[in-house]
Amino acid sequence: MNMSAAVTAPVAIRVHDLHKSFGPVEVLKGVSLDAREGEVISILGSSGSGKSTLLRCINMLEVPNSGTIEVAGEAIRLKTSGDGRSRPADQKQVDRIRSELGMVFQSFNLWSHKTVLENVIEAPVHVLKRPRAEAIEEAEALLAKVGIADKRNHYPSHLSGGQQQRAAIARALAMRPKAMLFDEPTSALDPELVGEVLRVMRGLAEEGRTMLVVTHEMGFARDVSSRVVFVHKGTIEEEGPPHEVFTRSKSERFRQFIKS
Amino acid sequence: MDIKFALETFWSLAAALPLTLQLATTSIALGSVLALGLALARLSGILALDLFARTYVFLFRGTPLLVQIFLIYYGLSQFPAVRHSIFWPLLREPYWCAVLALMLNTAAYASEIIRGGLLSVPHGQVEAARACGMGRLMIFRRIVMPQALRQALPGYGNEMISMVKATALASIITLMEITGVAAKLISESYRVIEVFVVAGVIYLAINFALTRLVAFAEHRLNPQLRPPLPISTELKGETH
Amino acid sequence: MTEPGFLDIISFGADGWGPALAAGAWMTILIAIAGFAIGGLIGTFGAWAKISGGPVVRGCAEAYTTVLRGIPDLLVIYLFYFGGSAVVTAIGQLYGAEGFVSFPGFIAGALAVGITSGAQQTEVYRGAFRAVHPGELEAATACGMGRFLKFRRITVPLTLRHALPGLGNVWQVVLKESALVSVTGVVELLRQAQIGAGSTSRPFDFFFIAAMIYLAISTVSGLILQVTERRFSRGVRRG
Ligand SMILES: Nc1ncnc2c1ncn2[C@@H]1O[C@H](COP(=O)(O)OP(=O)(O)O)[C@@H](O)[C@H]1O
Ligand SMILES: [Mg+2]
Repeated sequence: MNMSAAVTAPVAIRVHDLHKSFGPVEVLKGVSLDAREGEVISILGSSGSGKSTLLRCINMLEVPNSGTIEVAGEAIRLKTSGDGRSRPADQKQVDRIRSELGMVFQSFNLWSHKTVLENVIEAPVHVLKRPRAEAIEEAEALLAKVGIADKRNHYPSHLSGGQQQRAAIARALAMRPKAMLFDEPTSALDPELVGEVLRVMRGLAEEGRTMLVVTHEMGFARDVSSRVVFVHKGTIEEEGPPHEVFTRSKSERFRQFIKS
Repeated sequence: MDIKFALETFWSLAAALPLTLQLATTSIALGSVLALGLALARLSGILALDLFARTYVFLFRGTPLLVQIFLIYYGLSQFPAVRHSIFWPLLREPYWCAVLALMLNTAAYASEIIRGGLLSVPHGQVEAARACGMGRLMIFRRIVMPQALRQALPGYGNEMISMVKATALASIITLMEITGVAAKLISESYRVIEVFVVAGVIYLAINFALTRLVAFAEHRLNPQLRPPLPISTELKGETH
Repeated sequence: MTEPGFLDIISFGADGWGPALAAGAWMTILIAIAGFAIGGLIGTFGAWAKISGGPVVRGCAEAYTTVLRGIPDLLVIYLFYFGGSAVVTAIGQLYGAEGFVSFPGFIAGALAVGITSGAQQTEVYRGAFRAVHPGELEAATACGMGRFLKFRRITVPLTLRHALPGLGNVWQVVLKESALVSVTGVVELLRQAQIGAGSTSRPFDFFFIAAMIYLAISTVSGLILQVTERRFSRGVRRG
């Protein structure tokens, strides 16, 4: 990963002073984070610290109470409705920005009524309105890339977890996303299947894709990511290049976290 | 809505309530015995019995109840043998024809519910009972039946509600139960909505009471869902 | 008039009741299809109301299903038949017609069966929607599908796949319930059998044949549903 390029590259995702509460519980307490194009950011933190919420605010699966999200320089417009809750001001804008961000879930979330190939072409054809034949051609290339070309006519329920997650990655890639969001992509997998998914993700990082990865895989965070962010109780407690934070972190909590 | 008319309607319909309840309870009670027999036949492992029960359930669940009522009430009189048999005094009565049809019908549905309950009892418990030296009948009575009943009760509750609703069909063969009286009142007064609402409320009340009754029975049958008894009263609670 | 034998009843010849019974069976199927379709429409709204309606809307849907679960279907048929007739008569008098005008039994019957099966279908669709894995819906949102696109491409097909077995049961109930519509005078299968029974001295034969035709319709449609279900549930995770 070319560090100097990352520092000067344009910002792909900018999160500024993000606050999010569920009822009385404040889960994100003012989080700011910039992801430049080509950066791979590993988001670490113990369970319940707010990692998923942070990721899900970026594509508005959760609407933040305050703060700003910019994707490729475009701020997502929010408004406050009568009951004091904030909502997207322009749903069309949100839908468009979502289509520019590929999301990979912990539980794969492939559409069970569609084959792998149909899963991959669904959004390109119906959201982006690309010609079907072109979408199929690209989908087959992506499935070959993640190593499950032979499974394209299988239904998700007939695939192993690792294969399902690789299909989900292909589905996200098919949108030609500006950035990819991964929420613990290997946590639901049997240990022997983790490697095949991490290999695909490493390949994507080497292509220079912008990736935000919530993970518990320390090896991936250390070796693949350009930056590590440690979230603790809704704030960013530690942040920096992996070789720095893993060897000499100022945060006692982070040192504790990576030891356990 | 005319309150005076509604009250009059209520009293006329309430007078028909005993017949509705009688039809329902008689057919449910007789039907449950037949249903248990059918369920046991299904599980007997004896091919002839199993086939008979299967066919029975298929026939009675696959055809409308009203056709079954007509077959019995109008159809049986076609045969001189029936007309000259000792059952004729009963079979010419619309009441007994309705009871017979309702009972045969509910037995088909209920037998499947009971069968499900019996199948839900883990085989290990039967073996454990056998290991304690219990005989077949005792195992059935003390171990299998209570648990099967517990399992089958919610489904049986729904079937009983279906039966209460089904008694309305008896009005088509001249019995003046609630729906029969309601239809008569409507055709005399043309006040459809009022009569419908009053009759509907009565049926809802019956079924609500039935639901509570089943819930109460469920509570009684499921001691494991209740808070544990203090040790001193435990034995008293155990005597049945 | 000579008494027909059992074979004359089912024969399609000059004196046979075959054509009449076949027409009755066809009418039964039409009533059932109309009632099932109306119920599907109501059930869709009912399920939507129960899943994402406000407290008032949800309460109405809850009341609707509770009431229809508790009252006899025959009463509902009377409501629509006599109620419809009362309305039509009132309108008739407005335009100078005299006396009682009867409401078409087919429409009253289809509406009554539709309202009843609508309550059942509400529960079927709601249960089916709850069986859908929420993550699959979220994945659709995450790739930028708008509300309607997501509903059409993901929510409906997934819900329907889970609903098919329940809908099969509702169809069987509707088919049997259509026999009650005979009280409105619509000449469907059972009414036709009654006519035959009344004009001969062979009531058992007629009702027996009617029963066998009901059995045949429900068995054949059951098989069709089974094949459909298998075809459409490919890949569906259950449980
Ligand atoms: N939809 C929700 N409603 C209420 N509380 C939620 C919701 N989503 C998450 N939370 C709470 O917010 C906190 C942070 O959750 P999450 O972001 O999922 O943590 P992480 O992904 O770091 O484990 C947790 O305490 C969780 O219980
Ligand atoms: Mg999480």
